[in-house]
Amino acid sequence: MSSAPPAREPLGARDHGPAPGPGRRRLLRYGTAGAAALLAGVPLTGCASRARAGEPSALKVWDLFQGGDGMLMDEMIDAVSRGADGFHIDRTILDWGPSYYTKLAMSAAGGRASDVAVLHLSRLAGYAPGGLLDPFDLDLLAEFGVTEKDFAPAVWKRARYRDSVYAVPLDVHPFIVFYDKDAAERAHLLDPSGHLAPMGSPEALLDAGKGLAEATGRSGILFGHVTDTAQSWRQFAALYAQTGASFTLPDGGPPEIDVDAALRVVAFMKQLFDGRTNPRDLDYNSALAAFTGGRGGMIMAGEWELPTFRDSAVKRLGAAPFPQVFGRPAVYADSHSFVLPHQENPDPARRREAHRYVAEIIKQSLTWAGAGHIPAYQPVLARPEYARLDPQSSYAAAGETAVLDPSNWFAGAASDFQNRMCQPLQSALLGNTSAEKAVRQMVREADTLLRRPNPVA
Amino acid sequence: MTTTAPAGEAAPPRPGPPGAPPAARRRTRLSGDGRLFVLPFLVCFALFLVWPVVQGLWMSLTDASLTLRDPQFVGFANYAEAFGDPDVWSSLGNTVFFTVISCVPLVLVALAMALLVHSGLAGQWAWRLAYFAPYLLPVTVVTLIWTWLYQPDIGLGNELLTSLGLEPVGWLSDESVAMWSVAALTVWWTVGFNFLLYLAALQSLPATYDEAAALDGAGAWRRLWSVTLPQLRRTTVLVAMLQVLASLKVFDQIYILTKGGPNGSTRPILEYVYDVGFTGYRLGYASAVSYVFFAIVIVVSVAQLRLFRQED
Amino acid sequence: MSPTATATPARPRRRPRREDSGSPMPLGHGRLPRVLAGTALTVLAVVWLLPFLWAVATSVQSEQDVTKPGLSPFKGAFTFAAYRQILERGNVPTWAFNSVLVAVLVTVITVGISTLAAYGFSRGTFRGRRALLAVTVAAIMVPPQLLIVPLFEQMTMFGWVDTYAAIILPQVVAPMMVFILKRFFDGIPRELEDAARIDGASEIRVFRSIVLPLSRPIVAAVAIFVFIGAWNNFMWPFVVTNDPDLMTLPVGLATVKDAFGVQYAQSMASALLAALPLIVMFLLFQRRIVNSVATTGLGGG
Repeated sequence: MSSAPPAREPLGARDHGPAPGPGRRRLLRYGTAGAAALLAGVPLTGCASRARAGEPSALKVWDLFQGGDGMLMDEMIDAVSRGADGFHIDRTILDWGPSYYTKLAMSAAGGRASDVAVLHLSRLAGYAPGGLLDPFDLDLLAEFGVTEKDFAPAVWKRARYRDSVYAVPLDVHPFIVFYDKDAAERAHLLDPSGHLAPMGSPEALLDAGKGLAEATGRSGILFGHVTDTAQSWRQFAALYAQTGASFTLPDGGPPEIDVDAALRVVAFMKQLFDGRTNPRDLDYNSALAAFTGGRGGMIMAGEWELPTFRDSAVKRLGAAPFPQVFGRPAVYADSHSFVLPHQENPDPARRREAHRYVAEIIKQSLTWAGAGHIPAYQPVLARPEYARLDPQSSYAAAGETAVLDPSNWFAGAASDFQNRMCQPLQSALLGNTSAEKAVRQMVREADTLLRRPNPVA
Repeated sequence: MTTTAPAGEAAPPRPGPPGAPPAARRRTRLSGDGRLFVLPFLVCFALFLVWPVVQGLWMSLTDASLTLRDPQFVGFANYAEAFGDPDVWSSLGNTVFFTVISCVPLVLVALAMALLVHSGLAGQWAWRLAYFAPYLLPVTVVTLIWTWLYQPDIGLGNELLTSLGLEPVGWLSDESVAMWSVAALTVWWTVGFNFLLYLAALQSLPATYDEAAALDGAGAWRRLWSVTLPQLRRTTVLVAMLQVLASLKVFDQIYILTKGGPNGSTRPILEYVYDVGFTGYRLGYASAVSYVFFAIVIVVSVAQLRLFRQED
Repeated sequence: MSPTATATPARPRRRPRREDSGSPMPLGHGRLPRVLAGTALTVLAVVWLLPFLWAVATSVQSEQDVTKPGLSPFKGAFTFAAYRQILERGNVPTWAFNSVLVAVLVTVITVGISTLAAYGFSRGTFRGRRALLAVTVAAIMVPPQLLIVPLFEQMTMFGWVDTYAAIILPQVVAPMMVFILKRFFDGIPRELEDAARIDGASEIRVFRSIVLPLSRPIVAAVAIFVFIGAWNNFMWPFVVTNDPDLMTLPVGLATVKDAFGVQYAQSMASALLAALPLIVMFLLFQRRIVNSVATTGLGGG
């Protein structure tokens, strides 16, 4: 800092004797400069984004699809953007997982959310009751050719909250099995039509694993779960639902879980992944790599891994709904659905466009099926083109028996709940803890979450 | 310059140096009393600092939610929950661990850099550029670059290790390694700031002691230990104080790099506030956790100040 | 930070530039210390520059070449494709515009209100001045990061979420800067002002024509410091913006993804584009920026 005296201006000389009045007024003007700046900030608010986008009609849509799904969504958006009444779509992709759901909730709380967003149906309970979503106008949807009867009831009922519909499902994406048809053939697991034959009992699945291990000379059934925050829960939930027991999470706790059924499931999982016939310590990516490298006959995974398995050492790829080993047919699944995030002052014309967009895009879901997803919009499912999709069509029935996460504000895809359920299950599978202890911890974790005050309802 | 005031001015003439009686000074200092100068700042201060501080305190006593539901007063329930919440303690532990493993190198490496650059070798601006430039990068630029360096299969880190015949490391996926990776990035990113502070301090040291020691025949090392470093003591205490406070408030690079993972092993307390408040909707509880942490920060600041005063 | 703790004699903050290249801390006459110091400097510089260079090398290759294994920085042909794709997508220019707008407005408003307030605190006589100053100084201890939750709630209440006002205004309160400036103003002899006042100059004129010219270096230092802080601020803009059209560079780059998934050449290209403005500024104004950090960094010490 220079401390040299400044070149001194002869102040007084030039500015002789101004009345104190004007000086004070100028001071006031300066003094309020900050306040003026405050106000200047206000015109910058609000309309800024929409005005600057240059396309006032551009519909803002949010999703969390990258990679294969991301590109298919681009294709579908292109398809509905063509033609005279095509849409102007301003698409935003955020990271899959909690960060997406955080931003979605914050934008809705702020009141300037996107026009349409994708939401896992399993998370609806965390959004609709808190006013973070606006309901669909069913008459409008019907006008654009979409009604309740176009969806499987198991899925549609999860799109409702109280008397309104808050979500329009795009797909059902179940947790299924992929298998190497050659290996399965050698292990005599195929039915006459060349598809995986029904199992029907835990023992049958255990035997299938042994047969496949023999056929491949490596592992039987692969499953990646170590450090994953969803996989072991998916597997547990799939098997548990098959026992016919219910898993409900009433606010305030305690959770209603059939401990005996849960014990049977975890014990069976430990038995299945014994570390010899079927490896028990794979993480997600090494399980994928083992299957694509032909080092296993079957893998339990989400259908969304279909593109990964397409280009692999597995020459004849088969897929089937998760095998039924207990009493009731059930498949663990989730559903990508479209929702209308809450807006403080929605423009009716834009809302109408949003409805039309949702209706049009789900009619494009044959494209979406390319990635393995089962279209939720049944008219697409009924088309002959879909029936020709192999192996997708071989697990299309999974949508009918879909079981989603228990409905509560903290559950659903990418939630802390799934993560907490996975920790004890992983320990059990890795042999670090017994089935009893694992189940007890799961109940305890669910109870902890339920005891927290519900911030939504 | 004249010492007599024009007749119209309210102020009586006040010749002479400061030290005149306060009453006389009061009038002349500012013909207004200055409050208008302070006003714009105070408005912003009240709106964007005092208001949120008070509101946060209030919210911490309610079950305020991100959703559009009305908050209910819950007394100290949030605080009671916070003290019994294992995630509060583990994220506090992570924060302290990060502070320790980042502050030590951030002070020592900065000091070494400043001493080396100050030794007078040619190319001053080039060294300064190399060491300080990362500090000018926005955090996302830093994390993008380091995510690429830490990429498990083809990142530079593991390529280097495998070329040396070593096992690749799960830089961001191994629970016992991830925090160290974050600290390494942080040192690279922000050491330049401390480096400049040290450099400025070195440049303002009077050369006389050093020269005297040299005349007495003290060698370079000896002068470094006995003359320069003791003179830098004050700067070191200040730099360390600022650094501890900065490290305690870590959020940005961790959130972008690991989101607190793997398995919560890098989640700092500020991310926990974000996670429970925004991801988990519980703004009231998040406020309570903020205030618990705030209390800790205040205690650390005051402790440091006392320590610093004692140094004098 | 304590106000008094950092008060050092203001005089020789920096030596005249010439002397820098002389040897302020001579290494002695032997060659060995020089060689050692030079080696250490070089090794550190290489370590510090390596991530940059690696990023640059990555950014000028195709995505396919980048993912080939191996230690060589160049695994394929040279191409600007990644930069072209980034610029075509248009997000980065939008975010850069927002970053400039936000950083400039934050700097102007912060420096404006802080300078006025510092002068008011330094020369003012209004009632409660000491108490207000004490509150301001105490507020230095309040980490803004701890206010994100109530601030977000406040912005929701104002209906400001996803607006420029919400990004900018909460960033303009800088008690530390007020304190630094106030201490500087305290050091300016009052005689100059009194003389002007006696000659009938208005308060604001005194401030503008006498105090500000004297304070140019410290105001510049504060402005640079505030600008760097605002340009690089992540947490608050990240919390309060969800609309990608309003995001600043650091927030947009961290939040918004593209359909293809992670692409390293493009990610390095966008990182380097975002890094460029401040690096260029540093090359142009190195001395000023270094001074700014040195004077403001320790609270004006």
